Amino acid sequence: MKGLLLLWSLAPLAWQLYTSLVTPEALVSGSVGTSGSFWTLENYRQVWLADPPIWRYLLNSAVVGAATTALTLTLAVPCAYGLQRQGGRLRWLVTLALLATAIFPTVLLFLALLQLARALGLANNLLALSLPYTALCLPLAVLLLRAAFADLPPDLEDAARLEGMNLPRRLRHVLLPLLAPSLASTAILVFLFSWNEYPIALTWISRPELLTLPPAIARIAGSSLFTVPYGAFAAATVLGSLPLLLLVLIFQRSIVSGLTQGAIKG
Amino acid sequence: MKEQRLNSSWVNSLLMLPALVLLAIVFAWPLLDSAWLSTQASSVLTGLTPLANGGANWQRLLGDARFWQDAAVTLRFAGVSVALELVLGLAMALLLHQPSRGRGWLRALTLLPWALPTTVLALGWRWIYNDPYGPLNAILRACGAAPFGFLTTPASTWLFTVLADVWKTTPFVALLLLAGLQSIPAELEESLVLEGASPGQILRRLTLPLLKPWISLALLFRLAQALGVFDLVQVLTRGGPAGSTESLALYAYLNAMRFLDFGYSATLVIATFLLLVLLTALGWLLLRRRALEPSR
Amino acid sequence: MIESMPTAPSPGTGLRIEGLSRRLGQRTLLAELNLQVGPGECLALLGPSGCGKTTTLRLLAGLDAASAGRILLDGRDITQQSAGERRVAMVFQSYALYPHLSVADNLALGLRIRGMPSKEREGRIAAVLELLQLTELRQRRPAQLSGGQRQRVALARALLRQPRLVLLDEPMSNLDGQLREELRPELRRLLCGGEQPVVYVTHDQQEAMGMADRIAVLRDGALQQVGSARELYERPANRFVAAFLGRPAINLLPASGPRQLGLRPEHLQPVRQGGIAARLQRREWWGNQQLLWLETAQGDLRMLVAADQSLPEQLQLGWRPEHELWFDSHSGERLAAL
Repeated sequence: MKGLLLLWSLAPLAWQLYTSLVTPEALVSGSVGTSGSFWTLENYRQVWLADPPIWRYLLNSAVVGAATTALTLTLAVPCAYGLQRQGGRLRWLVTLALLATAIFPTVLLFLALLQLARALGLANNLLALSLPYTALCLPLAVLLLRAAFADLPPDLEDAARLEGMNLPRRLRHVLLPLLAPSLASTAILVFLFSWNEYPIALTWISRPELLTLPPAIARIAGSSLFTVPYGAFAAATVLGSLPLLLLVLIFQRSIVSGLTQGAIKG
Repeated sequence: MKEQRLNSSWVNSLLMLPALVLLAIVFAWPLLDSAWLSTQASSVLTGLTPLANGGANWQRLLGDARFWQDAAVTLRFAGVSVALELVLGLAMALLLHQPSRGRGWLRALTLLPWALPTTVLALGWRWIYNDPYGPLNAILRACGAAPFGFLTTPASTWLFTVLADVWKTTPFVALLLLAGLQSIPAELEESLVLEGASPGQILRRLTLPLLKPWISLALLFRLAQALGVFDLVQVLTRGGPAGSTESLALYAYLNAMRFLDFGYSATLVIATFLLLVLLTALGWLLLRRRALEPSR
Repeated sequence: MIESMPTAPSPGTGLRIEGLSRRLGQRTLLAELNLQVGPGECLALLGPSGCGKTTTLRLLAGLDAASAGRILLDGRDITQQSAGERRVAMVFQSYALYPHLSVADNLALGLRIRGMPSKEREGRIAAVLELLQLTELRQRRPAQLSGGQRQRVALARALLRQPRLVLLDEPMSNLDGQLREELRPELRRLLCGGEQPVVYVTHDQQEAMGMADRIAVLRDGALQQVGSARELYERPANRFVAAFLGRPAINLLPASGPRQLGLRPEHLQPVRQGGIAARLQRREWWGNQQLLWLETAQGDLRMLVAADQSLPEQLQLGWRPEHELWFDSHSGERLAAL
C-alpha cells in the first residue's frame, strides 16, 4: 500500500527528472540516437543560459518569497496574540473573517488588484508583489499562530509580567523563543504559497526579467504550444521545484506537525 | 501607562488592526470594486474608462452561452474532483496515520505534489499526457495498444484535467484529515478493539463520526478552491478543446487580459463569487444540520 | 541560614487589603475582601476550587485588575501599579519556568530586564543558587529537572527579586505526598519570618495548617473566617468552615428545629450507657487509627478511634458536651454552646 502511495505521488515527478536528463532522441525512442548518448545535461545548460536565464526567475521568486514571509510574520504575530487574548463577539467575528478569507480562491481578486497596482504604480515591482501575497497568507498564518499562542502555558507570560516585562519584551524574551517551531512551520508555508502563486504574478508582472517562476514557466509553455521543447522544460521545472523539494524534505517534521497541530488547536 | 489598566479589548484590537486593514484592502475592496465595475462598460471601446451601462453586462451574461458552458464545466469539475479527493484523501490519511518506520519521510514525500507550483506540475502533466511521446503512451505502446490522445477530445481532456487536479490536491486533504485522526485519543479505538470491533466497524462507528469536523473543513476549503480553478487549466489545456475545460476564472481572466473587457470580466468575477457563496453556504448549512442531528 | 536570605531592605508594615472585589460581567469572583498580613507572617488562603483564592492572589500580584477596593503594601497603595512595578514575587503552581532558558538564565532574565549591572546580578544569582542548593544545576534546562528541583528554581527566582510580598499558588500540588511533607519546614524557613508578608494559596487543609501562621477560608468569593488553624478547628465560624477543616469531615446530625448539631468523628466515643444506639457497618484501618461507619437513628455517623480498640457490633455512642458544635440550621452560622 505504501509503495503504491509513493508511486502515485512520486512517479510523475520522477518522470520530469528523467526527461530533463536525457537527449531528445532518447526521450522519443527510448534508445541512443544519432547524438550517440542517452544521458545529457544539455537541457540544464540551455535553461541556465537562456535569456533571461532560469536563475533570474528563481532569484525573483526567492526575493518575493523572503519579503512575503518577513512581512506576513511581522503582521501575523501581533494579530494572533491579540486574537488569542481577545474574547467575546470580536474574537468570533475576526476568526470567522479569517476562515472565510483563508478558503477564498484568490484568483477572483486578480482584476481589482491589477487595477490597484496600475493606479498605485506597483505593476512590475517585485517587492510590491509581496503586499497582496502577505494579505493572502495572513489568514492561515494568524490562525496557525493563534493556535500556537493558545498552546503556551499562560503562567509563563504572567511570570514575565511580574518581572516587569512589557509586551514587546515578553514577546522577544519569552513568547517568541517558545513559538520558534510554529514560527518556522508558518514561515515555510507562507514561502511555499508565495513561490507557487500564479494569477497575481501573471497579471502584475510583464517585464520578462522580473517574472517569478510560475508565470515564467507558463509563458515558455504558452509560447510554443505544439513544438514544446520538453527536455528544456523538464529541466526548468526540476530547477524550479528543487528549492521547495529541499525545504519540504528538510523541514518535513515541522511542516506536517505545524499544519496538523494548528488544525487541531484551531 | 499601566498595562493591565488599559482596556484590554482596546489593546487587542490595536494589535490586530494592521493585519485586518491589509486583509480588508486585498479581499473586501476588490470585491466591492468588481461589483461596481460589473455595472460599467470598461473595454477597448471606451478606452478602458468606466462608463455606467446599468445592467447591460449582467444581461449579456445571462444570454452568454460560453458563460453557461463554463459554469457547467466549473461545477462538474469541482464536484467530481472534490469528491475524489475526499475519498482518496481519507485513504491516504489512514495510511499515513499508521505507525511505521520512516513515517515522517513518507508524509513529506506524499505531500510533495501539493507543495510544488501548480504551473510547473501542469506542464509536467502536459508532457505525461503527450501524444505520442509521453510516458502514458509509451506504456500503452508497450502493451500493444494504439497511442491515445489524452488531451484531444473534450471528454477525455476534462477527465484527465480532473485527474491531474486530484493528484495535486489530495495530499492537502490527507494532511487535514491526518490532523483529525491525530486528535482522536488512542484509548477510544482501543476500547472498541476490546469490545471486539473489526477495523471496518471502528472506521464507521468511531473514526468517521469524530472526523466529521475535519471532513467538513476539507470539503469547504477544497470546494471553494476548485470553483476558482485557474492555474491548472490555464497551463495544461488553455481551456480547450472546444471550451471543455474552460473554468469561470479562466474566462474572466481572458476577458480582462485578452479581450480587454474589464467590465464584463468583473461581471464574471462577481458571478463566480456569488456561485461560490451560494454553494459554500449550502454546504455549510447541510453540514451543520448533519452535525446537530443526534448520533445513533 | 535565615540571615543570608535576601529580604526587602526597608522595614515594612505588611499587607493590608481593603474591600477588594473582582467582578467579571455578571459574576462576582471576589466580594469585599478585607485582610491584613503582618511583616513576616504567612497567611494561607484556603478553600475549594472556584472560591476566589487564586483570584485574590492574581489581584495582589497585579496580573488582574480589581473592580473595587485597595491594596496597601508597607503603607503604600499599590492597587494602580502594574505587576512589574509592585516588587511582588509569585511562585506558580506550574512553576512557570521559561523552558528555553537554563536555570541560571531563568533567574537572570528578570534582573537583566531591570538593567541590573552584570556583576551585581551574577553575585546575587550565585548567592540564591547556593542558598537553595542549586549551584550544580545552574546550566540545566527546566525539562531536565525533577519536580522538586523545579520548585526550588521557582522559589529562587521569587527570592532573587527581594520582593516586598511573596505569593505562592499551590506551590506543592505537583509534588508527591512525601516530598510535600519534607518541604514544608524548608519553605517556612526560607520564606517566613523575614520582612515581607507571605500569602499562600492551597486547597489542602493539612498544608495550610503546616505552613501558615493564620488561615483565611474562602467560599464563593466571600471570606468565611480568618484565624489560626486551632481557632478554625475548635471554633469554626460556620458549618462550611467546620466541614472543610478536619479529616474525616465532621458529622452533621439532622437539624432539630432551628439548630443543628455537629460532632467531629474523633470526638465520638463508645459509652456504657446513655448516648445514641449505633450498629457497626464497616471499618477502615488507618494504621494507628480506625474509622468506623455507624448506623444510628440520627443517620450514618463516622467515628475515629484508636486502632487497637475492639468494639462490638451494637454499641452506644457518647461525646463530651464541650465538643458539641451547634449551628443555625438555616444560615449555618455557629451558635454559642447551650
